[in-house]
Amino acid sequence: MKAIRQFFENQRRHFEGNGPLAPLEPFYEAMERVFFGTGQVTGQAPHARDSLTVQRYMMLVIVMLLPCLFFGMYNVGLQSFKAAGHPLDFWPMMVFGAKIVLPLVIISYLFGFGWEIVFSAIRKHPISEGVFVTAMLFPLTLPPTTPWWQAALGISFGVVLGKEVFGGTGRNFLNPALTGRAFLYFAYPIQMSGDAVWTAVYNHGAQAVDAVTAATPLALATTAPASQTVEQTLAAAGYDFSTLFLGFYPDSIGASSALLCLIGAVVLMIIGVASYRIILGDIIGVLALGYVLNLFAGEGSAPYLGMNPFYHLIIGGTAFGIAFMTTDPVSAPDTHAARWIYGFFIGALTVLIRVFNPAFPEGIMLAILFMNVFAPLLDHLVIRLRIRKRIPNI
Amino acid sequence: MQKLTIKKGYRFRMAGAPADDLIVLPAPARVAVLPERVPHIKPRLLVKKGDQVQIGSPLFEDKRNPRFKFLSPGGGTIHDISFGPRRVIQAIVIDRKETPEPETRFQAVTENQLAQIERQELVDRILDGGMWWAFRELPFRDLPAPDGEPPFILISLNAKEPFQPSPAVYLKDQEQLLAYGLKALNVLAPGKVRVFADASESSVIEKAGQWLTHVVSGNYPCDDPATVLYRIKSDASQNRAWFVAGQDLLALAHLLREGRYPIRRVVAVAGSAAPDRRHCHIRLGAPLSQMVEDARLHGGERFVVGGLFRGYSSDSDGYVGFYETAVNVVPEGGEPEFLALFNPGVSRPSYSRTFLSRLNPKALVYNCNMHGDLRACIACMHCADVCPVDLLPQMIYKSILAEEVEEYLELGLLDCVECGLCSYVCPSKIELSRTFIATKAAYAKEQAVKPD
Ligand code: SF4
Ligand code: SF4
Repeated sequence: MKAIRQFFENQRRHFEGNGPLAPLEPFYEAMERVFFGTGQVTGQAPHARDSLTVQRYMMLVIVMLLPCLFFGMYNVGLQSFKAAGHPLDFWPMMVFGAKIVLPLVIISYLFGFGWEIVFSAIRKHPISEGVFVTAMLFPLTLPPTTPWWQAALGISFGVVLGKEVFGGTGRNFLNPALTGRAFLYFAYPIQMSGDAVWTAVYNHGAQAVDAVTAATPLALATTAPASQTVEQTLAAAGYDFSTLFLGFYPDSIGASSALLCLIGAVVLMIIGVASYRIILGDIIGVLALGYVLNLFAGEGSAPYLGMNPFYHLIIGGTAFGIAFMTTDPVSAPDTHAARWIYGFFIGALTVLIRVFNPAFPEGIMLAILFMNVFAPLLDHLVIRLRIRKRIPNI
Repeated sequence: MQKLTIKKGYRFRMAGAPADDLIVLPAPARVAVLPERVPHIKPRLLVKKGDQVQIGSPLFEDKRNPRFKFLSPGGGTIHDISFGPRRVIQAIVIDRKETPEPETRFQAVTENQLAQIERQELVDRILDGGMWWAFRELPFRDLPAPDGEPPFILISLNAKEPFQPSPAVYLKDQEQLLAYGLKALNVLAPGKVRVFADASESSVIEKAGQWLTHVVSGNYPCDDPATVLYRIKSDASQNRAWFVAGQDLLALAHLLREGRYPIRRVVAVAGSAAPDRRHCHIRLGAPLSQMVEDARLHGGERFVVGGLFRGYSSDSDGYVGFYETAVNVVPEGGEPEFLALFNPGVSRPSYSRTFLSRLNPKALVYNCNMHGDLRACIACMHCADVCPVDLLPQMIYKSILAEEVEEYLELGLLDCVECGLCSYVCPSKIELSRTFIATKAAYAKEQAVKPD
């Protein structure tokens, strides 16, 4: 410990004042914070301050994302091995998955953190720890076949245009990770959608390409034949409820396991890092709209309308979006009442987009970005109501 | 007696509570008054170094209204007048003369006279007796103009900020005086006096029950006059209520009933680093060194006079101000902690649920470390969740930065209790309450110069 302290003390002079690396002071500070809390003390009342820091807040989100990351590596391996007809041994699959996933994560951190340092240095602001979460969320939403350069481009777009141009964390109104993801989705539809992108090819060349085009559950749900329910179609393709819930199907890297997202969401709600109002609002929205659509399902209508609403929660990225994306406090509304409404509309819109617009099978991404834009308005309305209830004191 | 429940606020599990015994400390060799610690006033000195004064001689007055006088708590010689930056008068120190200490006498008002006395007459007596400072007017906590009749006079018998004197201790054997004081207040604002105590102080409720109008339950700062006013006011015309702290009321009553300037104070000496935690009966303006012996400290402590959340820090050779009734000694905590970020935090105090201390039933040690660096607001809403008067501190803060005066007033800035909880809980370490207090003060100043 002494040695690490000494190391930081020795390096500090390079980053301070007229040191050669002075513009990188925010970087130095961020690194120091990983090892040491601040020694700064309060000057005036209140003399005591809470032990919680923004760093810890963000770290807890990352900790809850790690299971999704590891599961993602495993699942990427599993899906490729399955498609290639390779024996399903744990470690080879894990290693294969890691080879696909880790470079994307590393690229995301390098570029995300890089841009953050650039902007902090220019603005002379401290680094905002939010970028650590953004850079973890972003790769988990990508298809495993995403080219590296696209990942770099996407995270750059997300951090720079989703956040920094608005003034950095706290001033951005769009979720930066989703902004980057959406950018890739619209800019490179070929590499970002269709059935082929969700399974990384094992043994390039040696296997027939057809072998790896397993349709995702979302794609199957939209195209279920009228003679069957969606549930039957999915089950016939090997996606029964538990497979979908546990996440063993081709999907974006970290988003497929509803179970892990559920665990993450519950833990984050219990420790108060994620707003339970948003999460419950989301779930209520999904289920409510799912049931409403059920009412319209009947003879001759698309089977998707009649799908059990709970399936919306477990297929595709809904669970991941609910647990980790909608709850980003900065791009969500601030007031509690608005958070319920925000959540509800995200859930409802997710189902609507999915069912009625097969061009965007993954509805939650657009639903969140759409509601991000409305968050300030929701807050504004709630605040107006609150002001009206107060006895004025002017 | 009405019950009030305040849901928000925060309960601290803080180590270092004072014991309930009361030690009477001998009169110190020196006492001081600290004009700097009386908010809003513009002091004009009436004495100079070397002058002879009596208990009750005027030391300084408020330039804004020379009838607001501040009297000496000791008889003897002016030892020193110390000035801070911009010639702020920090302290007027008096070398006490040994017995008999010279004392100015005022005309006493007997209980019978009190029943007939004119309001104006009583106001004059209080002003001349140098006790107008006991009254403060919300929302600015400034001395009120003497001629207006307030919509309420609020008296809080205790203060839940850790660690203030227990009313059970300072009210002991003072019930008669309390009753007398309340009668006097009734002359100033007939039927408008509201007296409240914390619901957990059962012995006080039992003894003073007949005078209590409200029993307040909740966490800090549920029993602050501003919190109570927020709950009981029914109309904007009641915003400018006055309040008097429990001990200040006793002092005021003492002046009127005995005709002598009150110099008794009960101060709680507490905090996890205080060598002796107890209640001390002191002279008004006594030196801290009398209450906390330097020799028994270990170094690295901070003296906070008036409580961790609203008080001021002081050197050990400082003094207790007019309004402060607590001395907290807590660890300064200036050492960067190794791997603080990953500490499970079994004994780290936190409002959030991100530390294991949540599950630890023990009282925790609070220090003065910032526990983090200034960051942008991450909209965690902790500040709004603790605010006892339902403000949205982060919104008010943003509108203050944007200088949107109308907006922050509309959002309720002036209802702010100045409790400091929002700053305490903020993980981004934004100085919310300090900004609010400064903005309120600036606004008050601006209102004062405006001819209305
Ligand atoms: S705004 Fe902050 S200081 Fe003011 S009352 Fe609310 S919590 Fe207390
Ligand atoms: S506590 Fe701090 S970070 Fe949280 S909402 Fe309030 S101002 Fe923002």
